[in-house]
Amino acid sequence: MMKLAVVEAKLLTREPGALFSLLIPLFILVVFGSSIEPGDTVLLPMALAIAVGMVGLYLLPTTLATYRERGILRRLSATPVRPGNMLVVQVLLQLVLAVTACGLLLAVAGTVLGAHLPTGVPSAVLVFLLGTASMFAIGLLIAALAPNGRAANGIGVLLYFPMAYLAGLMQPKDQMPAMVARIGEYTPLGAFGQSMREVWAGAAPSPLLLGVLAGYALVVSIAAATFFRWE
Amino acid sequence: MAVIEVTDLRKSYADLTVLDGVSFSVEEGEIFGILGPNGTGKTTTVECVEGLRRPDGGSIRVLGLDPVKDARKVHELIGVQLQQTQLPENIKVWEALDLYASFYANPRDWRELLEEWGLAGKRDARFGKLSGGQQQRLFIALALVGNPRVAFLDELTTGLDPQARRTTWELVKRVRASGVTVVLVSHFMDEVEELCDRVAVFNRGRVVAVDTPAGLVGGEHRMRFTLMAGDTSGTAGLENLPEVIDVSREGTRVVVTGRGDFATAVTAHLARHHVLVSDLRIDKRTLDDAFAALTGRSFE
Repeated sequence: MMKLAVVEAKLLTREPGALFSLLIPLFILVVFGSSIEPGDTVLLPMALAIAVGMVGLYLLPTTLATYRERGILRRLSATPVRPGNMLVVQVLLQLVLAVTACGLLLAVAGTVLGAHLPTGVPSAVLVFLLGTASMFAIGLLIAALAPNGRAANGIGVLLYFPMAYLAGLMQPKDQMPAMVARIGEYTPLGAFGQSMREVWAGAAPSPLLLGVLAGYALVVSIAAATFFRWE
Repeated sequence: MAVIEVTDLRKSYADLTVLDGVSFSVEEGEIFGILGPNGTGKTTTVECVEGLRRPDGGSIRVLGLDPVKDARKVHELIGVQLQQTQLPENIKVWEALDLYASFYANPRDWRELLEEWGLAGKRDARFGKLSGGQQQRLFIALALVGNPRVAFLDELTTGLDPQARRTTWELVKRVRASGVTVVLVSHFMDEVEELCDRVAVFNRGRVVAVDTPAGLVGGEHRMRFTLMAGDTSGTAGLENLPEVIDVSREGTRVVVTGRGDFATAVTAHLARHHVLVSDLRIDKRTLDDAFAALTGRSFE
């Protein structure tokens, strides 16, 4: 199990997608970060939501669906090791990647850009965990349903843009139709982004939105587990 | 001792019957062939034996164990090379061997395998950069890294060029020589004839014969020739030769059926009686003929 984690970690570092998930949100942060006012509470939560969304919606499902397509999971089930170990290792590694991406964003924003960092650390961690759980659940569902790695990648992209739009990650929320913005708040990425913004503004995150995130995480992962095939 | 015993194995998907009562047993130390055209249930059978599929009926014993109930124990004792399986593009050869070795309780030293299978020079190469033959050798090495008692090789020379196939055959013989029982799934007649001690011939979800390749071929050959002088009396004593089974004559054309080295006996007999012949041809029966005789259809 340990060796599996080490080898998979090495493979992840050789994966260009992993580098993109680290660099794209950072790029957005730096480009827009030069024009923010000190104490801004919008840009950093947005960059964090983008980072977690990219790992959960692209990288995780693409990796798992590719492994199934290439028969890697099937080959594992012919050894004394259960292929479920691979799933656990992958989810943990991708979680590490999401945490790394967010840590990088926080470090750059906090030092170079002088952006506002939240004071309520426990609620920030809670929001991060629930948001990541719901993104990963959707990623696992994509991996369960996609026939191959390329399809998983395509579904990830197709889902990501409307979700990012509804979440207000592509333009300021006040420039969106009120109705759309309202609906968007209850989409997984929207609830995640909104809770982040609340935490950044120094408020407690709304229990309703946290409940929505937990609900997505639970329901979607049950669906993923139901539909998942090893081959 | 039988290392694998399969009795009355049945499996269907929806209303399609894939295995319709398959039985055979594999003895310790042999190369056992599973031969048949594509879609006759060979791979399904082997996957049931490997514990990758659950049979609908019948029983399977691998070294005395049930591959479904005792999956973990069985997987410790067998090594598999699956059809259409890949590794991650970016994994290095040594990493794959090292990783798979870590899955087993008593693995072989993967450095030895690297040498044995001619992959030492490719130790740090990524899987995606290997040639087809190198990938195939890596898969066989991965099947052996757990120090298995039985190795399953499924269509291992498909897609290889003739030279690489020959080389792979030599390697499979070497695996058996090291004491590992080999189950070889193949739809190539020549491969099975070259390698296997015994063969189960599959057709439409059943085993239609289990025998040695020579036994399946039957050892019967035919010889045809035309008498030049038009005088049939010179062939009179042919029936009495011990190697000859049958002689049929039609005008000056003669067909002799026999076994073993009957051709030498027949030509010596003809020479002794000063019979001149032309258009002499010997037809050797092949596994293809045997398959057609068993199943009533041609192989490919």
